[in-house]
Amino acid sequence: MDNQARAYLPRIAGLALAGASLLGVASAQAKEITIWCWDPNFNVAIMKEAGARYTKTHPDVTFNIVDFAKLDVEQKLQTGLSSGTADALPDIVLIEDYGAQKYLQSFPGAFAPLSGTVDYSGFAPYKVELMTLEGQVYGMPFDSGVTGLYYRKDYLEAAGFKPEDMQDLTWDRFIEIGKQVEEKTGKKMMGLDPNDAGLVRIIMQSAGQWYFDKEGKPNIAGNAALKAALETIGKIMQANIYKPANGWSDWVGTFTSGDVATVVTGVWITGTVKAQPDQSGNWGVAPIPSLSIEGATHASNLGGSSWYVLESSEEKAEAIDFLNEIYGKDIDFYQTILQERGAVGSLLAARGGAAYEAADPFFGGEKVWQNFSDWLAKVPSVNYGIFTNEADLAVTAQLPAVTQGTPVDEVLQAIEAEVSAQIQ
Amino acid sequence: MVRARRGIGRYYDVNGWLFVAPALGLIALFMVYPIAWSLWMSFQSGRGMTLKFAGFANIVRLWNDPVFIKALTNTVTYFVVQVPIMILLALILASLLNNPRLVGRGLFRTAIFLPCVSSLVAYSVLFKGMFATDGIVNSTLQAIGLVASPIPWLTHPFWAKVLVILAITWRWTGYNMIFYLAALQNIDKSIYEVARIDGVPAWARFTHLTIPLLKPVILFTTVISTIGTLQLFDEVYNLTEGKGGPSNATLTLSLYIYNLTFRFMPNLGYAATVSYVIVVLVALLAFVQFFAARERDR
Repeated sequence: MDNQARAYLPRIAGLALAGASLLGVASAQAKEITIWCWDPNFNVAIMKEAGARYTKTHPDVTFNIVDFAKLDVEQKLQTGLSSGTADALPDIVLIEDYGAQKYLQSFPGAFAPLSGTVDYSGFAPYKVELMTLEGQVYGMPFDSGVTGLYYRKDYLEAAGFKPEDMQDLTWDRFIEIGKQVEEKTGKKMMGLDPNDAGLVRIIMQSAGQWYFDKEGKPNIAGNAALKAALETIGKIMQANIYKPANGWSDWVGTFTSGDVATVVTGVWITGTVKAQPDQSGNWGVAPIPSLSIEGATHASNLGGSSWYVLESSEEKAEAIDFLNEIYGKDIDFYQTILQERGAVGSLLAARGGAAYEAADPFFGGEKVWQNFSDWLAKVPSVNYGIFTNEADLAVTAQLPAVTQGTPVDEVLQAIEAEVSAQIQ
Repeated sequence: MVRARRGIGRYYDVNGWLFVAPALGLIALFMVYPIAWSLWMSFQSGRGMTLKFAGFANIVRLWNDPVFIKALTNTVTYFVVQVPIMILLALILASLLNNPRLVGRGLFRTAIFLPCVSSLVAYSVLFKGMFATDGIVNSTLQAIGLVASPIPWLTHPFWAKVLVILAITWRWTGYNMIFYLAALQNIDKSIYEVARIDGVPAWARFTHLTIPLLKPVILFTTVISTIGTLQLFDEVYNLTEGKGGPSNATLTLSLYIYNLTFRFMPNLGYAATVSYVIVVLVALLAFVQFFAARERDR
């Protein structure tokens, strides 16, 4: 080392030290909250809005919202939790209501209890109940999945139907209309993914039943609503009024591309439907068709999810405070996400806001939120239990048999056998 | 000068052990320990992190589990149908491309080998797109009038299986072909010359000379392909969004293990038991194949 270099050495060392301490200070101040969720038009967009609101009052907190497919969020979460190391996990994660109890029960201590911080009395009770385990409440209740029948007014008009004809249908009538729509317009009535039992769940819950009874025991072979739901899907498939889809994005493509006339699903799809501005004014919303069995209603639920904070999170305190400030109290926030994204939150106080009264030009000036709010009150409550994933897969495994005309009672036996073997 | 010690003395050489100790330590940590632990886990049952010793309950559960039976049947179907097709195809391609008079055979060899260096995920996603209801395959088939309505590649149980077989054949045929090509270069050309002079037709040369001479390589590729098919996961996962659908028609044992661990109510113990089913199957099949193809002494 020559003399000149020797002279510079302390300075370089000093610079490096200063740099390091600066970095140290910066990382001590800025808190970054990492959030995993799915659906860019809904959860991701809503979380960005929530984050922006919180950053206004807490400039030191930033948000890193990671957008995965729903299946990937669930599997990454379960992989991380099973491995027992929390390094790869986010601070906040979105969990669909069907899976909440599964995570809470099989990974004790993995999630931070929020009871004590959050005032749960302001939320829809069914939502709080499904995140309660042994007296502790985990998670921040988020959206409801109240269902509706979205339909293309232009296609139905071309087939000779007015919006009044779409109100309070039965599924048989729905299929009749579907046949005529295809005859007149060449469009299929709906998109259907035979690997997804979502429609079965919608129809089953609309008649007040689930795969499990109130005690969590399988309720399949003798489940009249499930039987009627499978029969309905069989009729839809035999009438061939559907466009087959493989996977979620394919299914979304069936209606964003204008290939189908209706969508029967949860209210959270509104953001995706409205993401096609050129279709503005062409859509209407009606209650979903009903079954012709006892207890049948025109209201049901699909999905719906809530935010959970990981116990291992380094930013746990900030994450909880953030959820509580925005999702727990900010009424104005709920008005915005309702109008922009169609998010029907479960904070009851938000229901009184002006947004629920507003008419939506995208839906031809209908007061759709008022309708969804009314239907939400009529959704039959059921016990999702902890094995919905398993039951769902057993149902999709048997859907082709239903299409091929196997007696539904036999199919139900097969589903029950599979579910019983899976839930141990 | 140190003379190499012989026999038992070499076994007790401390220096030798010191040299292999780091490798042994790593093998113990990353192979022996997980294997032993997973074997222990296969005797436990429970939800998520709450495992309890359950004796042979998991093995009993295998017999009563329709999904496991389905996954096992699918997996066996895959290799019973796919491995022979692929091996024969690879053999035929290899003998065609071994012809020195063929123009551009380097190009053909590369083209057929290329699929197996492509990413598993990328090619599955590509296949998914190509074989979609209104994808390029269906529109081509319809345009040339082979089929009247689109084939439901991904939504019908039978066609989904066909698609998975197509996909893995596309990817792995070239890989096996390379083994055969290498082996073919080692066969003495004079054997073929004699056969040709004796008037043995091309097909007979293939069945009576090429195949018997390649027997050890065929055995090797069959064993490797069988093991590969038993562990089939990526293609099915990516083609069916992780569901093994429609109707569990494409579900494989590996995908079922994945579902049991990461998708359903996590049951790590039962998942470990199913993993050991694959271990036993691989061992059995490898043994059977070696036995069937062994050189008989006169």
